[in-house]
Amino acid sequence: MEFDENRNNRKTSRKKMTVIALIPLIVLSGMLVFLLGPGMSILNIGIPLPEITIEKIEFQNDKIVAFIRNTGPEGVDVAQADINDRMIPAGIEPSKTLSRLAEAKVIVPFSWIAGVPYEVGITTSDGTRFSKSVEAAALAPTPNVEQASYFAIIGIYVGVIPVLIGLLWFPFIKRLSMNKYKFFLSLTAGLLVFLGIDALVESNGIVGQNIAGAFNGQVLIAMITIITFLVLLYTSEKLVERAKMKSDDNTSKSNLVTYSSSPSSTTKIPQKQQQQQLAKPFAIAMMIAIGIGLHDFGEGLAIGAAVLLGEVALSTFLIVGFTLHNTTEGLAIVAPMAKSGGKVTIRKLIVMGLIAGIPTIVGAWIGGFLYSPIAAIIFLSIGAGAIFQVVYSITSWMSSNTSEPRKAMLSTPMIAGFTVGMAIMYATSLLIPS
Amino acid sequence: MSRSKIILVSIFLTSILTITFVISFLSGISVIAQNNNAFSKEGEKTTVVTGGHGTGYNTIRTTGDVLDSINADERTDLTIDPMKYLREFNYGRVSTTDNGTTLRDFTIIAQDKNLEVSPGVFMDAWTFNGTIPGPTIRATEGDLVKIKFINNGSKPHTMHFHGIHQSQMDGVFEIIAPGGSFTYEFTAEPFGLFLYHCHMQPLEEHISKGLYGVYIVDPKTPRPPADEMVMMMNGYDNDFDGENNFYTVNGIPNYYMHHPIQIEKNNLIRVYLVNILEFDQINNFHLHANLFQFYRTGTSLTPTEYTDTVTFSQGERGILEFSYKYPGPYMFHAHKTEFAEKGWTGLFLVKEDQSEPDVTAFTKGERAVYPSEISNNTFTTQTKTKDSQSTIVSYGESSQGGS
Repeated sequence: MEFDENRNNRKTSRKKMTVIALIPLIVLSGMLVFLLGPGMSILNIGIPLPEITIEKIEFQNDKIVAFIRNTGPEGVDVAQADINDRMIPAGIEPSKTLSRLAEAKVIVPFSWIAGVPYEVGITTSDGTRFSKSVEAAALAPTPNVEQASYFAIIGIYVGVIPVLIGLLWFPFIKRLSMNKYKFFLSLTAGLLVFLGIDALVESNGIVGQNIAGAFNGQVLIAMITIITFLVLLYTSEKLVERAKMKSDDNTSKSNLVTYSSSPSSTTKIPQKQQQQQLAKPFAIAMMIAIGIGLHDFGEGLAIGAAVLLGEVALSTFLIVGFTLHNTTEGLAIVAPMAKSGGKVTIRKLIVMGLIAGIPTIVGAWIGGFLYSPIAAIIFLSIGAGAIFQVVYSITSWMSSNTSEPRKAMLSTPMIAGFTVGMAIMYATSLLIPS
Repeated sequence: MSRSKIILVSIFLTSILTITFVISFLSGISVIAQNNNAFSKEGEKTTVVTGGHGTGYNTIRTTGDVLDSINADERTDLTIDPMKYLREFNYGRVSTTDNGTTLRDFTIIAQDKNLEVSPGVFMDAWTFNGTIPGPTIRATEGDLVKIKFINNGSKPHTMHFHGIHQSQMDGVFEIIAPGGSFTYEFTAEPFGLFLYHCHMQPLEEHISKGLYGVYIVDPKTPRPPADEMVMMMNGYDNDFDGENNFYTVNGIPNYYMHHPIQIEKNNLIRVYLVNILEFDQINNFHLHANLFQFYRTGTSLTPTEYTDTVTFSQGERGILEFSYKYPGPYMFHAHKTEFAEKGWTGLFLVKEDQSEPDVTAFTKGERAVYPSEISNNTFTTQTKTKDSQSTIVSYGESSQGGS
């Protein structure tokens, strides 16, 4: 009986909780009905202005295709299209009536000239004209095997090979003295901070040029960056914990042996700690590889989009610039592992190099064949979040290795390394036209 | 180690999959849009769209809607009717005063109106008698002209006539408030081609929103009989950026491209050409395959020039006289090509004689006949009721009388 009463009590209290939680929602929906309901004129303040965003312009054989979106507060009717502010008859698919955030494709028959700038204009029924210009018209790549393999080759040149070249610094870094090593480790942190800032600036640029205000692009960037940072931080901490538990199991078996067999072990690092140390650098290196992979994906997007959007000269320079720039990324991957003392196989290194590099190819495909500005900023923000998490891991790992973390962080090699890292990135980034 | 490696790799893969999902979700719509052609082949109706104004230009096929103001008149609101305006002269209610002078009474009402000024494009306009341009007012030199002006608009307006009259009839200092009215009274002098427009400040706004019209004063000895028409060159600044988005003759961009003006071979054509174009410094008129006698401001019966192109600044005007030697379609347009390509373009269709079938029987939504299809003797389009009778207006013959 008592048990039943308890259960009933719990049930009623749960019901109560639900009701209490729902009451504000019910009141809120009542208010919305009141405000938006028929006959309510309180919200009819001002005139809603239409807004059309031209997200992408493609130059195809004898036609120009513009992908537009209604980013205004209400539905609009598209009335006319023009090229360089001159009316041209055009087709619009699926319909000239666009509901809020709906998309349409405007196809304008036009004999365009390669390399010449063009402006595409869209006029809505109230006479407002929206336009977007392209610096130099170039035939849009069509998704076929030839084009895909072309992008793949570019991706390999830009992403995979340079990162693998950078990995060749592994033996060099392994033989460095501790101070010089610290220099290179913080240099890595410097490189990464630069890449993170670069990704944020880049995505902010896309927001300014291609994303309508309706999408709150800048807030989206900040949100995704922070969420990525937190999720990766949580995951990597879990990973390290796992590795620690595993090494605990191993060492508990061999503990006695270790300590008894070598009396001088007090001066050495206990095996347990050593294993832990190996687990952490590896995890950091993997995180760096993933972070750089996302960053390189962004680079791939940039290259593909440059080809698609007709910035031809730009994409050639872009490719050379990224190739040089990305060599330093290999260095960033190997640095944390070099001094860990654990077995670092060549296979492991190559896998990490590939994780960091291959996304460039995927990025080039997506950028070249189905460029979407929103997807681009999402990737760049994820990359930025991942990179900042890696920087956090490196610095916390470096400081946890010493008895005086603060002093270690402010040592000469650290500051010098960080500064030089950023400077190198800035110098190589000058090779990439923006 | 291998276990944590597996975890790491699987996390990496999961994140890649998540990203791919997000990407495909976000770009899903555009992928569909891009591949539209793939599933548009069967069953669906496709329309051919031609760039430019005629065959020979690039064409595309579309399953969607067509945005075409050059080849077809897709307007839903036909308040502005350039074909009606072209040959409509208003002589007023005619009476004779005690001393034998002809008195012409007109009523002009200013009103706000949302007009479709180009296919699909609507503008909040200010109008005289509901359309842009306002009605053409015509009198003979020496007539007494009385214009009762009623302001039904939301802003104060006036009517300022060009010509010779007293200060208080100049439409500058007597401001007519909304709901008010005023009667302008003056003698039509001298003969020539004039215009009228609102003179409220800001003048630029009152003119660019549509308050203007043509005012013709005929000489006492009439000009020779001719096929007469009015052409008012104007523009529309729909987005209020101080630049015109559309340029027209008689109110609708490209209208006479799909509704060619029909004229007869060897018949004398007289065009009363006025430029009211706001914002732009100049505007001009160019006639294809022909030259015209030009009477600047129409104040002389002797032509001042024999030319094919004439350039006006705002408020300037002149009378053009010409006839075509050969039948066929001929373009006329602003030789300022920007204006031409933004709508100030039209066609004369010269017919052998009046008995030829009518080619301008386009109803709404029908495709225009391209010039190449209207070669000399192949007027193929079906005959329908004429939307405007070609009337030859000559002085003294008009039903409204006057002498």
